[in-house]
Amino acid sequence: MKKIGIFYSFNTTKTGQAVKMLSEALGKENVETVNAETVNKDQVLSYDNMIFGVPTWFDGELPNYWDEFVPELEDMNLKGKKMAIFGNGDQKNYPENFVDGIGIMADLLESRGAEIVGLTSAEGYHFESSRALRGDKFAGLALDFENQPRQNKERIGKWAEQLQKEFL
Amino acid sequence: MKNTAVKQKYHIKKTSKKTLAHWYRLIIRGRTWDDRAPNYLKQAIGWSYHAPAAGHEGIQLAMGQTFDRDTDHLFPYYRDLVTCVSAGLTSEEIIYNGISKDTDVAGGGRHMSNHFAKPEWNIHNVSSNTGNHALHAAGTARAMKTYNHKGVVICSQGESSASEGYVYEAINGASNEKLPVIFVIQDNGYGISVPKKDQTANRKVANNFTGFKNLRIIHCNGKDVFDSMNAMAEAKEWVLENVTPVIVQANCVRIHSHSNSDRHELYRDDYELNYVAEYDPVAKFRRLLLRYDRFTEDELVKIEEEIRAEVKEAHKKGLAAPDPDPDSIYDFVIPEPYRAEKYPEGIHNEDGPKKKMIEAINETLKAEFRLNPDTYIWGQDIAHKEKGGIFNVTKGMQKEFGKERVFNAPIAEDYILGTANGMSRFNPKIRVVVEGAEFADYFWPAMEQYVEISHEYWRSKGQYSPNVTIRLASGGYIGGGLYHSQSTEGSLTTFPGVRVVYPSFADDAAGLLRTAIRSKGVTLFLEPKALYNAPVAATAVPGDFEVPFGKARVRKEGRDLSVFTYGNTTHMCLEAAGQYEKEKGYSIEVVDLRSLSPLDKDTILKSVRKTGKVLVVHEDKVFSGFGAEVAAFIADEAFEYLDGPPVRLGAAFTPVGFNRILEKAILPNTEKILEAIKQIIEY
Repeated sequence: MKKIGIFYSFNTTKTGQAVKMLSEALGKENVETVNAETVNKDQVLSYDNMIFGVPTWFDGELPNYWDEFVPELEDMNLKGKKMAIFGNGDQKNYPENFVDGIGIMADLLESRGAEIVGLTSAEGYHFESSRALRGDKFAGLALDFENQPRQNKERIGKWAEQLQKEFL
Repeated sequence: MKNTAVKQKYHIKKTSKKTLAHWYRLIIRGRTWDDRAPNYLKQAIGWSYHAPAAGHEGIQLAMGQTFDRDTDHLFPYYRDLVTCVSAGLTSEEIIYNGISKDTDVAGGGRHMSNHFAKPEWNIHNVSSNTGNHALHAAGTARAMKTYNHKGVVICSQGESSASEGYVYEAINGASNEKLPVIFVIQDNGYGISVPKKDQTANRKVANNFTGFKNLRIIHCNGKDVFDSMNAMAEAKEWVLENVTPVIVQANCVRIHSHSNSDRHELYRDDYELNYVAEYDPVAKFRRLLLRYDRFTEDELVKIEEEIRAEVKEAHKKGLAAPDPDPDSIYDFVIPEPYRAEKYPEGIHNEDGPKKKMIEAINETLKAEFRLNPDTYIWGQDIAHKEKGGIFNVTKGMQKEFGKERVFNAPIAEDYILGTANGMSRFNPKIRVVVEGAEFADYFWPAMEQYVEISHEYWRSKGQYSPNVTIRLASGGYIGGGLYHSQSTEGSLTTFPGVRVVYPSFADDAAGLLRTAIRSKGVTLFLEPKALYNAPVAATAVPGDFEVPFGKARVRKEGRDLSVFTYGNTTHMCLEAAGQYEKEKGYSIEVVDLRSLSPLDKDTILKSVRKTGKVLVVHEDKVFSGFGAEVAAFIADEAFEYLDGPPVRLGAAFTPVGFNRILEKAILPNTEKILEAIKQIIEY
């Protein structure tokens, strides 16, 4: 199995916890982590299989570190890349924009030619709208540390299994 | 974040270095002042009100850059430091306002600090009453449309202000009238300490307006310079092309407390404070400039140092600038009125056929509208086919002057008056007449706009005069009950900056209305509706009659008692005086005040000195009614001429009952006045 690049902000707490669980589930030997705070084009292009950790900030925005990378992403050719996204959201307090960050990033990566993998069912969540929805699925894995923290481990575990197949 | 709904005109990789440098200078200038402002309070120099702009810089830069002072109008709010810097205010102009110097271009330190403005450039001096300028923005946009002016109005406000009814009225009106306004909602999540979940159900308040027709809503990241610039550019292009309004909702963060009287650590935890600071728009812009190799660290540091030096220099100038002169407080309370040169005392000798008051008002309105093409009138129920207001006072006006000058307003009294205040801003030639409400009783929703309009001239140090006549059908004696009989002058005369007149006869109604429409400033024109068609109020009316403000009219000369009155009760006083004279042989003087503010103190004193006895009569309640002012003035200024205390007669201290028996018991009438005269004379 090719190395999977997991890109996320090393300054984060919850996203960092999710990455830890995800790495364990995928096998630490199979993953490499990259700090999204300082990510560059070459780092992205060096992987064929990638996971982006994209929490949603405020009322449906990308975190600033991802947002600042967008102008660079916009000029990249991601054809042939398989990319998966997970992100934290708060379905109770931000039901109108639940995990929008996943959707925004998915749109962007797809527009550059990437194949989005790791779509998951939206069942079991209660929210009003989300830019991450693709039919009845999210364009990635939605985590809710605020309201459904006990489900994180199981969700991440299942997702890791799914990715192991889809990254092949 | 890219806002895919709008064209990407500006981009970190594509925007010219010169433009980026300009923006960075503006943002650093704004942030430097924003950071320094609290120090002035700590040192007791000033800036005692400071609502920090930190966290809003993206959208504020964009608003200022989008605004074109040659064509547009900008209504900033009290958090718009960077907006005003971006629109062109210099460092000196910022500190003059911050520490309330006489040189403050907003209004010489008269208005609260951090309310930046420059009326000369159409950057308006707005209220602290959050969002109430949205109505002014709609009014100015209406004028732009009426005069085929190509430009936009940019109206800036916080998200919590959208909870105010008048903001709804403004957006509804702009949508309905298709007005060229960009309403910018700067959403930082809080109204002081109140989180937005306590304001409205939608986290993005602009989405409350998605059902409005003719309205485009654009969301942007107000913390991001490029997203904000693109959103504002798109909004302006849209408004200019379509002449319909746009809402731009800009998501911001509030890095500091609401203002220096707020302590956000009482309701925001460290986690929240950290993550909002994390998204500092200035830091983000700086990082982008470096990351995409548009500037070197040295280049940015050089700009920062230049701004620091500039601010230091402006600080010195600010401290040395003159303070306002305490002797200037009476300057610019209200503009000089039109000079009634033909009738300097407001008296005539016309002996023609008598006209009813309603005819006199209608004919005067029409005459003034014929004379001045920049006159406008609107109000609820004012113009629909043959109808011209609830009492038909404006009958025939729309037919003669068209729908652009004579038109209906929604049932929104605040909107009626607020848009008058806005329309006036477009051009000082414009004269607006509004029927402030269907009945004076329904004027209260407009009260905040009334207060607002009363101090525009003073607050801007004479830079802006709203030229508006507010007509209200007032008073009782029609069996109208609690909501069709109120007298409002007791409440409405207390505001400096508004002239208040209350005629009793047709000729005075015509003369005062003409003077009001021709004058600069605000006049409240109270019409005793019970007299519209009353033969007793009908008089001959010269076609060019003018009555100056502050000129009472002695309607009946006398020696033994002075009766001061106005409106409906003038006729009762005249009747009672005549009757008493006839019965007892005493001579009673009846003075119709006509103008309550300004008050004709000379005529009052002259009469008191002659008679030594005073009765003040009005329809309003005695308790805290306008008569208290007249009586107190007489006691102050003519005490030595009085034979006894001034006596007041008016309504009981109750609402006005609907049943005629109740109305009669509550309101003054000829019998009650006669009894009062008798008691004073025969004491």
